Amino acid sequence: MNAFWLFLVVLIPCLGGMITPLVRWKKRAYMMVYLESVVIFTSVLVWLLLFHRPGEAFTLVNFTGNLTIAFQLDGLGTIFAGLVSFLWPFATLYAFEYMTKEKHERTFFMFYTFTYGVTLGISLADNFLTMYCFYELLTLVTLPLVMHTLTREAILASRKYLYYSIGGAAFAFIGMIFLITYGETSEFILGGVLNAEKIGAGKNIFLLIYVLSFFGFGVKAAICPLNSWLPQAGVAPTPVTALLHAVAVVKSGAFAIIRLTFYCFGADFLRGTWAQSLLMAVVMFTIVYGCSMALRETHLKRRLAFSTISNLSYILFGVTIMTPLGLVGALSHMVFHAFMKICSFFCAGAVMHQTERHYIHQLDGFAKKMPKVFAAFTISSFALMGVPGLCGFISKWNLVSAAIESGSLISYLGIGTLLISALLTAMYMLGIVIRAYFPGADFDYSAIADVKDPNWMMLFPLLAFVIGIAGFGLFSAPVTELFTAVAQGAF
Amino acid sequence: MERFLLLPVFFPILAGVVLLLKKEYQKRNSLLVYVGTVLIITGVCACYAVFGVKEGLTLFQLTKEFPVYFKIDFLGRYFSLVVTIVWILAGFFSFEYMKHEKHEKRYFGFYLIVFGVLLGLDFAGNLITMYLFYELMTLTSMPLVLHTQTKEAVMAGLRYLFFSFAGAYMALFGVYVICRYGTTIVFAEGGVIPAAVLQEHGTLFLVASMLLLLGFGVKAGMFPLHAWLPTAHPVAPGPASAVLSGVIVKGGVLAVIRVAYQMIGADFLRGTWVQTVWMTLALVTVFMGSMLAFREPVLKRRLAYSTVSQLSYILFGLSVLQPEAFSGALLHVAAHAFIKVGLFLCAAAIIYRTGAKRVEELKGIGRGMPVTLWCYTIVSLGLIGIPPASGFVSKWHLASGAIASGIPVFSWLGPVVLLVSALLTAGYLLPVTMQGFFPGEGYDASRFKGKEPSGFMLVPLLALAALTIVIGLVPNVLVYAFEAFAALLM
Amino acid sequence: MEMIRNFPCLSILLSMFSAIISSAVKGRGARRINTFVVSVVGILSACTLYYTYTTGQSYVYVMGHFPAPFGNEIRFGSLEAGMALFFCVIMLLSLNGGRRKIQMEVDPEKENLYFIMVDLLLSSLLALVYTNDLFTAYVFVEINTIAACGLIMIMESGRAIEAATRYMIMSLLGSGLFLIGLCMLYDMTGHLLMSNVQASIQAIAADGTYVIPLLVMIALLVVGLAIKSALFPFHAWLPDAYGYSTVSSAAMLSSLVSKGYIFLLIKIIYRVIGFDIFVQSRIINVLFVFGLAGMIMGSTSAIRENDIRRMISYSSVAQIGYIYMGFGLGTSAGMAASVFHILAHAATKSLLFVSGVGLTDVSGDHKEFIELTGSAYRNVCAGLAFTVGSLSMVGIPLFSGFISKLLFSQAAVQSQIKMLPALIVLAVSTVLNAIYFMKTVIRIYTPVSCKYKSVSIRENPLYAFTLLCFVVLNIGLGMWSQPITDWIAQGLSVFA
Repeated sequence: MNAFWLFLVVLIPCLGGMITPLVRWKKRAYMMVYLESVVIFTSVLVWLLLFHRPGEAFTLVNFTGNLTIAFQLDGLGTIFAGLVSFLWPFATLYAFEYMTKEKHERTFFMFYTFTYGVTLGISLADNFLTMYCFYELLTLVTLPLVMHTLTREAILASRKYLYYSIGGAAFAFIGMIFLITYGETSEFILGGVLNAEKIGAGKNIFLLIYVLSFFGFGVKAAICPLNSWLPQAGVAPTPVTALLHAVAVVKSGAFAIIRLTFYCFGADFLRGTWAQSLLMAVVMFTIVYGCSMALRETHLKRRLAFSTISNLSYILFGVTIMTPLGLVGALSHMVFHAFMKICSFFCAGAVMHQTERHYIHQLDGFAKKMPKVFAAFTISSFALMGVPGLCGFISKWNLVSAAIESGSLISYLGIGTLLISALLTAMYMLGIVIRAYFPGADFDYSAIADVKDPNWMMLFPLLAFVIGIAGFGLFSAPVTELFTAVAQGAF
Repeated sequence: MERFLLLPVFFPILAGVVLLLKKEYQKRNSLLVYVGTVLIITGVCACYAVFGVKEGLTLFQLTKEFPVYFKIDFLGRYFSLVVTIVWILAGFFSFEYMKHEKHEKRYFGFYLIVFGVLLGLDFAGNLITMYLFYELMTLTSMPLVLHTQTKEAVMAGLRYLFFSFAGAYMALFGVYVICRYGTTIVFAEGGVIPAAVLQEHGTLFLVASMLLLLGFGVKAGMFPLHAWLPTAHPVAPGPASAVLSGVIVKGGVLAVIRVAYQMIGADFLRGTWVQTVWMTLALVTVFMGSMLAFREPVLKRRLAYSTVSQLSYILFGLSVLQPEAFSGALLHVAAHAFIKVGLFLCAAAIIYRTGAKRVEELKGIGRGMPVTLWCYTIVSLGLIGIPPASGFVSKWHLASGAIASGIPVFSWLGPVVLLVSALLTAGYLLPVTMQGFFPGEGYDASRFKGKEPSGFMLVPLLALAALTIVIGLVPNVLVYAFEAFAALLM
Repeated sequence: MEMIRNFPCLSILLSMFSAIISSAVKGRGARRINTFVVSVVGILSACTLYYTYTTGQSYVYVMGHFPAPFGNEIRFGSLEAGMALFFCVIMLLSLNGGRRKIQMEVDPEKENLYFIMVDLLLSSLLALVYTNDLFTAYVFVEINTIAACGLIMIMESGRAIEAATRYMIMSLLGSGLFLIGLCMLYDMTGHLLMSNVQASIQAIAADGTYVIPLLVMIALLVVGLAIKSALFPFHAWLPDAYGYSTVSSAAMLSSLVSKGYIFLLIKIIYRVIGFDIFVQSRIINVLFVFGLAGMIMGSTSAIRENDIRRMISYSSVAQIGYIYMGFGLGTSAGMAASVFHILAHAATKSLLFVSGVGLTDVSGDHKEFIELTGSAYRNVCAGLAFTVGSLSMVGIPLFSGFISKLLFSQAAVQSQIKMLPALIVLAVSTVLNAIYFMKTVIRIYTPVSCKYKSVSIRENPLYAFTLLCFVVLNIGLGMWSQPITDWIAQGLSVFA
């Protein structure tokens, strides 16, 4: 297909979203149909693009010098774009049902659809500058979504989100400047673009800059100590928390770090340096920290948010191994965690939508009243724990194989961290599951008599995700092969 | 032909899932008929698979390199037979017992699922498949533990879960290492790691195998991660505690044998600190379990502590890494399974009929429930190790194997600990019999009058008692097979 | 085309005469004259820009055909012409955007006085931009100061007079230092014409005499102008002067007056002292450090501020810090970045002032944040414009602030020692900018049960149009920066 389509898929949801509040919809259903078709149309286009990849890049704007806004589809972009475009239609469907109880729908859907375009922009970016631009844009368009309820809490959360994100981007900016100055080209090339001659003896400076920009992008990927915005941002409506704070936004952070590590600085340049050890230690700490905080948390969505923090650092752990296998692990967890976490968030959202209950101790006995939702939740919990046969096991497997392959002591420690985290995951997820299924012998079900499963618009996405979780878990070989091809630059 | 392997594994799982999803049965009998039929069919299929199917079956690729693979080898055959026998007997026992519990449908649903999962664990032909079913075993058996849903049961269930997962994840580290360096992950006699690799990464493999042993040892209640067992087993409904304590713990034993003998290899472990630690832990557990059981007043908890102790007999036998001790351990697997299930079922029958839970409440029970108490006595003798019951043979082999191994200190310390523990076993099991039959002059045992349970309960009890005696009387068939197998391994 | 060479001189004279004519007419007439003159000067400057950019040279215009040292020279290249054009555009927009406020806040009797001051300001700015004579520059610096004082004082409120006095004192201190520096320079070289001075200075620097006087002279000139352009720590006059004057004055003061001094400083650096000598002096490091400190301190003061006008003013301190940091890097790339930032900041800051007044107007003239809650819904276009301005200040891509941030960092990377501090402070300052600007944006978009009246675009179309122009200017600088940077590079190359 023509490279121009790359720009179109970014533009369509942006424009489609912007039109939403301008039109006077006679019925809510019309708007729903309109938005869903915009989203599905974009997704179909994206998947067509994935299978008929345009060979060259599409340049949109020329800033100064060789700095351009350009789009290109490579292996890594394929995976992220494919993931996002698969999840978005389902999430939109879910959001229609969820938002019936919230206000300012049209503004919400404007930004929700707009974010789709921006996220695609990140995945299709051809060079660092383009990615950076969309990365900043992502912060701005998701801000109104976090702020949506306009309560005091939401405003504080969105402020924090904004400060953290912009601050992070400011440090990532430093990395960008370096790459523009010292890189041979500003495009993404697997293996890095740094010009060895220009670097000369100043390797430590480069490592410092790498660490700074890692932390910069790491804000979105919620690495410790820059993670506190994520649980707070859980005040947003659940479709936002689920899709953005479990997939689009946070994975953009991880995606940007992958780009930074493998496609800009180059894994060979970084491997075995102090920067690698430092970042690995930070990431490992975050894994355990996220899990422990999740265990302490009693608010359902915040617990899941802390779990996201920990799981995002799984991805980053894969990245910091800095081998192609590590990238395979990172990519598989990026994709699989998206399915698991969006599934569990949607279950939490279904509970909140149906019953207005937000805290875990209020969920006693729910499984009997919402059997389908809690079946999905249970499966996603098992997957997060890494029960074999579900996709979480596979990604953990890939991560650990990479760690063993690299063979350094710290990566063995990393394996230990992953396993401890798996145990903690079991504790905080199954705590909820058991409470829901086994509320106690003398539990009075009449207290939750009004609780019931939501309608098909909420259940259908759950079904799709559950199928995804089990499908990836049982037949992971083709996916892993794809990831391997991407990591080796063969795709 | 090899596809037949799937039937005993997935048929009960599917049947259980169907049962769980179904509406409540109108009549209790149709539920029982359904469960009974599934149990019998699975039993028959399992026997057929065990004796008829020689080939392995690759189901599908779980990860790029590793498939889900079933193959019944000697160990699988042996364990799956034990599981099948016990499961069916305890299943029929529950038909009667579950009358006084709620949520029968859920109980039987999970009972069937766990059956399938256990068979899957036994049939597993490679490490990944085994690990898969091992995790599933934990998850699916949990609803059995917290079936009564009392606060105590739920807490016990959580404890069970977290200890099991802690163990599983410890073991997972070892699994990763083996999968990385092994030439294959299909179980093979003597291990799958090339000697050169073992040489090169010695420390790594020692740590990995220690973690594997500790991790899988959790399921077998090995010190220091045994604390879940005495809480989790007794709170389940009677037959469930029986199978938990008798069979599911053996999943841990199976996994330990698989990794120690068929993955890492006994030769590598022999003489290392790992073996020393392993033996020490096993002996500590043997003694500690017996002591705790001795002090425990509640019968089911006492039996659970006894499981802790007895399982470590098996682990000790394995840790010696010597053929005779190994066959003793294997024999003890079956012996302990039948005995412990028998004991728990007796306790369950007593609770079911009289509600008596503590040992001192059982005075004079022999007057009212003589058959139950006789069965109890017979299997108790087996556990203590008095000939001709089965425990004697296995313990004999364990002790002589330990002596023959010639390991300093442990070659004599082991048998001594086993002996002391056997005395303690007598001390905590036999008082029930003695006070049950001889409550003393003038003791009024009339409240136990006519409490003998129905045939659904008695037949399994009698069968288990009989099995205990039979194994004790003709152990040689098994022992020879075990020794032949041990010769292959070491 | 030869005629175009007369345009710079013509535009200076035009604006001066318009001031004289304005004194004879009423307020409205004075406003019309002013608008006309600014537009004409803009067109003249545009022609000059076109001419100089296509020829790629700079020209000397000798006033009255007297040769040096008696005569007075004007020198212009594309950079000067472009700057003059830009100043005209910003001035026009600022006056239009604040027109209603001027009518409200200025005594009708004195409205013509206001526009006289504006005309004088324009003429002095043009003179600062174009002149090639140091003493002429000094004279117009003073005229500029007086005009600016008038602009601040015109509201006649107590705070405004206090602010004007303060501004006057600080400014005169700056001019005084500048004058002393000038005297020393004249002493050393015997010239006042920039080209001649430079030749002498080169000679002095080459033979190693007057090392310390040279350094002191540079320091005096730089510090004098730094005080006048409110470089941290000489910024104390700024928040009051910008915060309590009428909005057009504030916009012009922040985006024109201080920028005129900075442009003069660039001129002195390139054309009087010589770029290389300037770089070798230690003054440059002082500028760098003060610039960095200003970037941080300006922003932290802005965060603490509870008044939107004063917050925007403090933000100016930070932005001036950026510009001086660019000087301090001591490379031509840094200098180009500074020049770009002069444009970007002028476009953005006047936008912020003008849109900020739209927000305060619909909040009962309160400037405190608590009253501004939800004001973006009451005045939609001001809200949007303020958001654009804030995003640009924070340095979000596609807006002008991003490009200047990009240019600054690219310049910083080329420097060995100054690289890391510059980059880190840039990043920190971005975060700080985000904190106070985005906090405000979130606040004005937080709906609240309304006790103030909303304003629609139709009520004041001129205001909306002005804001639109500002926004377009901002996005234009952000999106199509390539021609601008080319022009700056070319202009700087013929500057010396």
